[in-house]
Amino acid sequence: MKNIYTLSLLTFREALSKKIFLFFFSVSTFVIVVFALLFAFISPESFTDGFVSSTTTSFDNSIANGIKLFIIYPLYAGGLFISIFSVSGFIPSLLEKGNIDLILSKPVSRDQVILGKFFGGIAMVFINIFYAIFFLWLLIGLKFNVWDASFLLSAFTITLAFASLYSVIILLGIITRSSMLPMVISYLTFFIFSPILSSRDTIFAFVDNKIVSGIFSLLYYLVPQTSDLSSINTDLAVGNYISSALPLFTSTAYIILIIGLSIFIFRKKDY
Amino acid sequence: MNAIEVNELTKIYKGGRSKIEVKALNNFSLSISKGEIFGLLGPNGAGKTTLIKTLLGIVFPTTGSATILGSDISNYKIKNRIGFLPENHRFPNYLTAEETLKYFSQLGGNSTKNIDKRIDELLLLVRMSEWKKMKVSKYSKGMMQRLGLAQAMMNNPELIFLDEPTDGVDPIGRKEIRDILIDLKNNGTTIFLNSHLLSEVELVSDRVAIMNSGKLLKVGRVEDLTTTKEAYIIETANPIDSDFVNAKYMNTPSANTSFKNINVKLESSTKLSVNVKDNLELNFVIDNLRKNGINIKTISIQKNSLEELFVSLITDERGGTK
Repeated sequence: MKNIYTLSLLTFREALSKKIFLFFFSVSTFVIVVFALLFAFISPESFTDGFVSSTTTSFDNSIANGIKLFIIYPLYAGGLFISIFSVSGFIPSLLEKGNIDLILSKPVSRDQVILGKFFGGIAMVFINIFYAIFFLWLLIGLKFNVWDASFLLSAFTITLAFASLYSVIILLGIITRSSMLPMVISYLTFFIFSPILSSRDTIFAFVDNKIVSGIFSLLYYLVPQTSDLSSINTDLAVGNYISSALPLFTSTAYIILIIGLSIFIFRKKDY
Repeated sequence: MNAIEVNELTKIYKGGRSKIEVKALNNFSLSISKGEIFGLLGPNGAGKTTLIKTLLGIVFPTTGSATILGSDISNYKIKNRIGFLPENHRFPNYLTAEETLKYFSQLGGNSTKNIDKRIDELLLLVRMSEWKKMKVSKYSKGMMQRLGLAQAMMNNPELIFLDEPTDGVDPIGRKEIRDILIDLKNNGTTIFLNSHLLSEVELVSDRVAIMNSGKLLKVGRVEDLTTTKEAYIIETANPIDSDFVNAKYMNTPSANTSFKNINVKLESSTKLSVNVKDNLELNFVIDNLRKNGINIKTISIQKNSLEELFVSLITDERGGTK
C-alpha cells in the first residue's frame, strides 16, 4: 500500500509540474467564479423569465434543478475531455528508458506501479471535479436554499466515467508506449462509440439482424459505458430516481478487468 | 553464499514483425562473492546491460536462473537490499535532488525516519549539497551521475549495480567516485560495475569478466588476467644490438634443441621481451646474455594492460582481424 501511495503521489506531482493540475484547477475556478457572479447579480426570477410557481420552495427547486442540469452536462463532457488530455502522457513517461529501470529496480511489484499510476490519475481528476461540484453546490444552496446532496455524488460518477477511460489509456499506453493513440481512442470512445452503443436499442429497431445485434451488444460491453454513466450523472444531479444502476456496476467491473489486463501485460514485458 | 549466482542464463529478444531473434545472453554463468568489486567489460551490444537488467527483474530470462543475496531474482522484495544506477537514468525533472532521493528512498522501502539526515550525508559525499534544492532538470550530466550514485546508496544496500557510473564525469569527479566505491567495498558492500572505461575498471575491481555476444569470455582477478605467463622483460645496463639478438636467440636458438620455444624480441636498445616455456629456458637466456658481456639491470614479469587483453579477446572472438 505504501508503494502505491508513493507512486500515486508522484503521479500527482507530475500533473502539478506539467501544469495539468493548474490548468484543470483554473478551469474549475473560472466556472465557479462565473456562477458566483451570475448568482450575485441576477435574481431567481430572471432565470424563469417571469414564470412564477405556486410555492416558493418548489419554485426555487425547479430553478436550482434547471441550473444543475445546465451545469452538469458541460461539466461532465468538459471535465472528461480535459482529464483524458491530462493523463494520456502518464504511462509513456513512466515507460521511458532510464525511468522505468529505476522504478523496477526498487522493491516495488509491477502491479503496484500500475495501481500507483491509476490511483494518482484518479486522485488528480477527483480533486478537481469535486472542487468544482462542491463549490457549485454551495453556490446553488446559498442562492436558492436547496441543499440536495445527491448533486455532490456527480463527482463520483464523473470520476467513475473517467476511470473507465483511464483504464483503457493505461492498457493502450503499456501496449503502444504512445500518448497520442490512447488519447485519440478515448476521445472517439467518449464522443462517438459510447453514445452510439448506448442507443443500440434504437438501432435494433431499424436493423433486424441477429449478427449485427450481437456485435453491437458485444461492443457495448467492450467499450467504456460513459454515455450511460452520463445519464446516471444527470439523474443524480437533479435528485431523480436512477432507473438503472447497472452501468455503475458494469463500469466498475470493466475498470477492474482492464486494469487487471494491463497488469498482466505489464508483468510480462521487458524494459 | 555468493552475492550473485548466475546459472546458464539465456535471454533471447524477439523482434516484433521482423522475427529477428537476438541472443543477448547465451548460457551465461557467473559467481560474484560478497564484498568484492566486480567489473563487467564488453563491447557495445555484448549483453552487459541485459545481464544487470535480468538480475534486477527489469528483463525476464528466457532460460536459466540466478540468485541475488541468496534469493531468486523473481523475488522483488530482495531489492530493498540492492542499489542500482542505470545508464542514462532519468529522474523526474520536476523534483529537486532532495525530493528525488526522498522519493526513491520511499520506493526502496525506507522508513521516513532519519531520511533527511541520510540525504544530507549522501549529498555531501557526492558533493551535491549546494544543489540540494535545485530541480534536476537544470543539472549537468556529471551532476546527474553524482545524484544517481547517491540514489543507489540511499538505502544502505548490500549490493550495488552501477552501469557506466562515471559517464560524463570529469577526471576529478571520477577519482572521487572511485574513492567512494573503495569505501563502500571496505564497508562490505558488493559492487557490480559495468563500464566502458577499462582503465577505471582495472583501478578499482578485484575481479573482472569480459563478455561478448552474450557469452563469458574470461573471468578472473585483474592481476591474473593481465599477467602474461612465462613472459619477461629484461632491462640491461648496456645496449644490445639487434643482430646479436637475432643471431643468438631467434634464428639459431641454441645448440641445445630442447630450448626451441625461446622467443626474444628487442623492444629497445636496452630492453628485451622474452617468451619462454619455463625457468630453465629463462636461465638459458640470462646465461647467454651474461656470457656475451651484457649487464642485466632488471628482470620483471611482463604484464598486459586490461585494454590489451580486452582487445585481444574481442578480436579473437570476432575472427582474428584487429
